[in-house]
Amino acid sequence: MDDPRATRLVETVLRCYPARWRQRHGDEAAELAALLINDGTPAGSVAWSYLAGAARERLTLRPGPRLTAVACALLVAVCSLGVSAGLLASAAPARAASTSQTRGHAHCRPGPPELVPGVTPAISRPQVVIWQAGHGRSC
Amino acid sequence: MAVNKRNDRAGQDVLRRVGEASVLVLVSLADGPKHGYALIRDIKELAGVELGPGTLYGALDRLERLSLIEPLPAEDRRHPYRITAPGAAALRLHLDSLERVSAAGRLRLQLGGI
Repeated sequence: MDDPRATRLVETVLRCYPARWRQRHGDEAAELAALLINDGTPAGSVAWSYLAGAARERLTLRPGPRLTAVACALLVAVCSLGVSAGLLASAAPARAASTSQTRGHAHCRPGPPELVPGVTPAISRPQVVIWQAGHGRSC
Repeated sequence: MAVNKRNDRAGQDVLRRVGEASVLVLVSLADGPKHGYALIRDIKELAGVELGPGTLYGALDRLERLSLIEPLPAEDRRHPYRITAPGAAALRLHLDSLERVSAAGRLRLQLGGI
């Protein structure tokens, strides 16, 4: 490349590639650019091709240890959020039912617990069982 | 080799998804090793397509990752590449597939009288 501007342009664009790529192809790529420009290919066209190649190289995801770790972390986070949302969703109606039943009857006496008719307690969460309050029943 | 396994398993045309530039690079390497500049010139002669250097290196990296080509020891700053045995098999399979499509296309054009 006789034109110093063309040389500078290609060198600048080649710097856009990842370091790993530059170590591997950098020298050869600069020489190839020089040969193409000497053959009459416009320097801008060569630079543009390298720029597009650098963008592709940067945007291409390659599976590796870091990517796998990030994918695992995301999976765990999504699972945790799902479980939390599920627990909240199952607890909300139960809490609402419990509140509406106890509002009118403040006193609670010990006695055998009785389930509210029509309200099914969650099987997996026995602590959320709804007791009918007042009228001699436990809350 | 991943490509080998895939080819053996299903006889699939792995080159269908690698893009035209990669196929042209493989075709150019089919008659012997070449470096980047020689590849660009050869592809221009054989297909009339002028590959940009960025496109060429993208294709070379893709084909090397798939073990379809391999780099040879550097000559000065140039790295020649050569086609591997799985690369040659994949290219043959792809060209067969193209030939079938080409023959079917010609036949249909004939039948259609266009």
